[in-house]
Amino acid sequence: MTPESGSSQREEVLRRLNELFAEETEAAVRYLYLAATVKGLDRATVRATLLEGIRETLEHAQTIAEKVIQLGGTPKLRIRVEVDDGLTTGRDAIRTALAFEQAALDGYKELLDLAGDDVVLEEFARAQIATESEHVSSLYLLLDE
Amino acid sequence: MDAWKEFEQNPISHSAAHHIVAIKELLDEYGYARVSDVARLLEITRGSASITLKGLKGRGLVTEDDRRFLGLSKTGEHVARSVIAKKTILKKFFIDALGVEEHQADIDTCKIEHLVSSETAERVAQFLRFLDSGDPSSEHFRKALAEFDEPCSGDTSSCPCCAEACLVKELGDDELGS
Repeated sequence: MTPESGSSQREEVLRRLNELFAEETEAAVRYLYLAATVKGLDRATVRATLLEGIRETLEHAQTIAEKVIQLGGTPKLRIRVEVDDGLTTGRDAIRTALAFEQAALDGYKELLDLAGDDVVLEEFARAQIATESEHVSSLYLLLDE
Repeated sequence: MDAWKEFEQNPISHSAAHHIVAIKELLDEYGYARVSDVARLLEITRGSASITLKGLKGRGLVTEDDRRFLGLSKTGEHVARSVIAKKTILKKFFIDALGVEEHQADIDTCKIEHLVSSETAERVAQFLRFLDSGDPSSEHFRKALAEFDEPCSGDTSSCPCCAEACLVKELGDDELGS
């Protein structure tokens, strides 16, 4: 897919990419908040994971924004982060992170479904799915449930 | 005096009410609801929807099956029906009785649909039933209300509504600081 590709499919891909741009940016803010509010004996371990999450999700957001530009679109950011006040346990922080990481993974899977015969977009979506899947798995391992 | 505290302690937050009603609408229209459908309907990210729904699942209002399709528990269904009923009653009241424009009525009911008590909503419904009853007194009331176009003079001494200050003047515009 290029900036000259058929307009309706291109618009749909751009719409999905901008959704993912918001998804990843929101995730970075959520990681930041969770890292700031996590408490308990496992605080150090969980906080390190959460801080790593900020870095990774921001990287993903930048990659997606770049992809939007490559397709001739404009990155659009509509985010709204609502968080529960108060401190959180390490386990609850990881559970929350799993909820939004799984949501992002589902978003990339939908993007893959849209790729059609666009090999470049397909590869991009597959790479993101692989990364997100690993991330989700590592969070599940931390929970050990 | 402590009523404002009840606002914050309301068991169903504004966001929660929207998520529950969204699931109900999706189930009624398509027969299924997923996190992505709720997110798209509410124009929020999946992450946001997912986190709110996680809390609602924990409170036993929302269910999720093995294939991650969402549903409403009996209590969740009750909440959805109650919020929708209150919205419908209040919107009708704003439009039919007060003559508020539909778009504004939509916005205002959205803000209070999950906060107003069932008791008050029932009284509003009763009032609307009276208005639509066809009874000569209701017809007379309607006509008189529609014809009452006396502008607010700002004179509090003769106003049955205001006491020390003109309440209408106090309203101002909805923009902050105006």
